[in-house]
Amino acid sequence: MENEFYTDEFEHLIKEKADQFRMYPSRRVWHSIYNNLHPSRRWPSVVMSLFLITSLMLIGHLNTGDNSITRQINNNSYNETSTLIAGNNSNSKRSHSNTKTQDHPATRYEGAFEDVITNETDYYVYTIVKSNRPGYFNKLNAPAAETATSTDKNPADNTGKDLIPSTDSYTRANPVIADINAAGKKNKNSSHKTTNKNNDGNDNADEDNDSESIAANKAKNGSARSTAAGTQKTDADNQADTDKKAITRIDATAAKRTLTNEEKAWIENFSLVSKPNRNKWKDNLAVTFYATPAVNYRKLTSRSTSSVTPFGTADINNVISQKPGLGIETGLGLTYTFAKRLQVRGGFQFNYTNYNIDADRTNHPITTTISLNDPNTGNSFLSARTTSITNTYNSAAVQPVTLHNTTYQISLPIGFAYKLSSQKNVDWFAGASVQPTYVFGGNAHIISTDLKSYVSEPSSINSWNLNVGFETFMNFKLGTYNLQVGPQVRYQVNSTYRKSVTLVEKPYAVGLKFGLVKGF
Amino acid sequence: MLNGCLRNNATAQEALYNRFSPRMLGVCYRFAKNREDAEDMLQEGFIKVFSQIHQYRNEGALEGWIRRIVVHTCINILKKNKKFSDSVDIANANTVHIREEMIPSIMQAKQVVECIRALPLGYKTVLNLYAIEGYSHKEIAFMLDIEESTSRSQYTRAKSMLEEILIRKKIIQKTKKKSDFFGAVSPS
Repeated sequence: MENEFYTDEFEHLIKEKADQFRMYPSRRVWHSIYNNLHPSRRWPSVVMSLFLITSLMLIGHLNTGDNSITRQINNNSYNETSTLIAGNNSNSKRSHSNTKTQDHPATRYEGAFEDVITNETDYYVYTIVKSNRPGYFNKLNAPAAETATSTDKNPADNTGKDLIPSTDSYTRANPVIADINAAGKKNKNSSHKTTNKNNDGNDNADEDNDSESIAANKAKNGSARSTAAGTQKTDADNQADTDKKAITRIDATAAKRTLTNEEKAWIENFSLVSKPNRNKWKDNLAVTFYATPAVNYRKLTSRSTSSVTPFGTADINNVISQKPGLGIETGLGLTYTFAKRLQVRGGFQFNYTNYNIDADRTNHPITTTISLNDPNTGNSFLSARTTSITNTYNSAAVQPVTLHNTTYQISLPIGFAYKLSSQKNVDWFAGASVQPTYVFGGNAHIISTDLKSYVSEPSSINSWNLNVGFETFMNFKLGTYNLQVGPQVRYQVNSTYRKSVTLVEKPYAVGLKFGLVKGF
Repeated sequence: MLNGCLRNNATAQEALYNRFSPRMLGVCYRFAKNREDAEDMLQEGFIKVFSQIHQYRNEGALEGWIRRIVVHTCINILKKNKKFSDSVDIANANTVHIREEMIPSIMQAKQVVECIRALPLGYKTVLNLYAIEGYSHKEIAFMLDIEESTSRSQYTRAKSMLEEILIRKKIIQKTKKKSDFFGAVSPS
C-alpha cells in the first residue's frame, strides 16, 4: 500500500517534514480510550464519586444542623488549650500544656487553636501542619495525650507530646515543619514553666522564650531574620513573607509534577528545532553490484608507417577464421544521484575478455615473421619467429585447434546515467562510462606477416588501456533494493597490443548487464 | 508490549499508546480542522487499534499498521461528519483561494504541516493520502468515492498550491519547475 515514489524533492520534503511532526495529546484522550476498553472498571470510580458526595453532604449536614459540633463546643466550657509553637509572632499568647480531659473530645480542637489563629501567619502555619499531617490531630484525643505535660525533659520523646514529632523524617525534610518543631522543643526545654492549667483557662505563657526560639531558628536557617539574641523581630511582614515563601515552596513542588500546555508546546517545537540534520548526501548514495556476461568481438587493422603494408592489401579480418568468445565484467560501484534524472557512477571492475581463433597445429615448427614497429623511426620491420600454429583459413594442415586470445583486466569505471523515463516502480536509464584499465594477464596470438601462421606473443599485450561503455537499462524498485537489467556495449579504445606491434586489435563486447542496487 | 495488548492488559495498552500517540496525533492533525477534532480522531483510531490488535500479523512495522488504521479512521470521520460537503467539494476545490494570513508563523515541520492544513479540505485530503501516506490514486478514489482521474488532478493542483504557499512563506526556494534537474532522487 505504501509506495516508494519520491518523484521529486518537493514531495520528499513534504513527507519528511510531515513525518517529523509530533503533537502530545491531552490526558483525557487516554482516559476516554481506557474507559472504552475497560468499561467494567468504570464502576468503582462512580461508586467512589457517590461515596464522596455522600460524605460531603453528611459533613455539611452535621455542621449546619442543631447538633452541630460548633454549637456543642460553645455550650461547653473548655479547660484545655493547645498551642502552635514557632512560626507565630510574639503577640500571641500561648502555652504548651495539657490539662485534664475536657468534657468533649472536640473541645480540644476548639480550645487548641482559638488563641493560636489570631493572625494570618498563624493560619498559614496551621494550614501547613493540618494539610501535611491530617491524622495527627486525632492523637490529641488519645488517652495517653491527656496526662501528657510539657515537663517532659526528653526532646526525643515523640509519643504525641510534641505537636510534631521531631524524629519524623517528613519533618526533617520539610523546613517549615522543622522550624515549627525546633522552636517548639526549644520552648519546652527552656521554659519548663508550663504547668497544669487552671480550670478557668488561665495560662502561663512565656512570650520571651518564644521570641528567642523563633529568632534562633530564623538565624539558623539563614533567612532574613533578626539574629540578635533576645532581639525580637517584631516585623510581622517579614515573618509573613517567610511563611508565604515556605508555602509557595511546597506548592511549587507539587506543581512540578504536571506539564503545562506551554511546556508541551515547547517540547514539541524543541524536538523539531533540535532534531539533528540528516545527511542528505547519504540519501542520494547507493552501492551497486553488477555482472555483465558479454560476447567479445574484435577488429584487426595495422599501423605501419612504411609505404608497404606488411599484410598486403587484403583485409586481415577476411583471411582469418575467428569467432567471438564469452567474457564477463563484474564489479562494485557507487552511484550518486545529484539531480532528478542524473546519476554519477564510479567503482571497481574486473574484466575477462576472450576471443577465439580457429587454427591448425602442425607436426613440426615452422619459421615465420611478424611485423613490428621500430620505436625510434616508427617504420615497420619483420621479426622472425618460430611457431607450430597455422592459419586454418590458409593452411593445408588438418589438426584443428582453437586459440584463445584472453586478457584479464581491472578497471575503474567512471560514468553517468540519465533517466529517460520513470513510472511507478520502473525507471529507464541510459548511461556511458570510461574505464581506465590495467591488463595484468592474458594471452595473444598474432597473425604472421604472410597471414599463414599464428605466433603466441603474450608480451605484446598492452598493460594499460582505456575502455568506453554505453548502456541502457531498466531499474526495478524492489523494496529496499533495485534491480537493473539492460544491454551494454564496451569498446576498447587502444589496441590490445603495444605500439611496437604493427597489428592492431580493437576488441569490443556486447553483453547483458545485471545489477543490484541498495541505498544507504 | 504487543502480547500485553493482546491480553487486554491496560499497562501494555497505555505503553503502546504513549509510544505512538504523538506521531499519530500529528497525522490526525493534518486531516482535522483543529486540535480537538484531531484528538477525537486519535481516540477513535486507537480504540480501533486495540480492538483489532489481534489481526496484526507481524508483517511490516507496527507503526505502519497503526498508521493505516488511524488514517482510515480520519477519513471515515470526515466522511461521516460530511465535512467534505460543508467545506469544499473535491471536484470543485480548484475554485477556492487561500488566505495566507491564516497560516501562523512557526518553524520547519510545523510550518509545512500548517500550510498543508490551510489547503481546502479536498486538496488537503488527497495530498495527505498520496504524498505523505503513500496511497495510490486508485486507493484514494475508492476511499473518497471519487474518480481516479479526479484524484490525480486534485493532487496536481494541491501540490502546485502548496508549493506556491511554501515559496511565498520562504520555506522553500523557487525551483526550476520545467527543468528535469530538480532535486535529488534516491534510487532505493
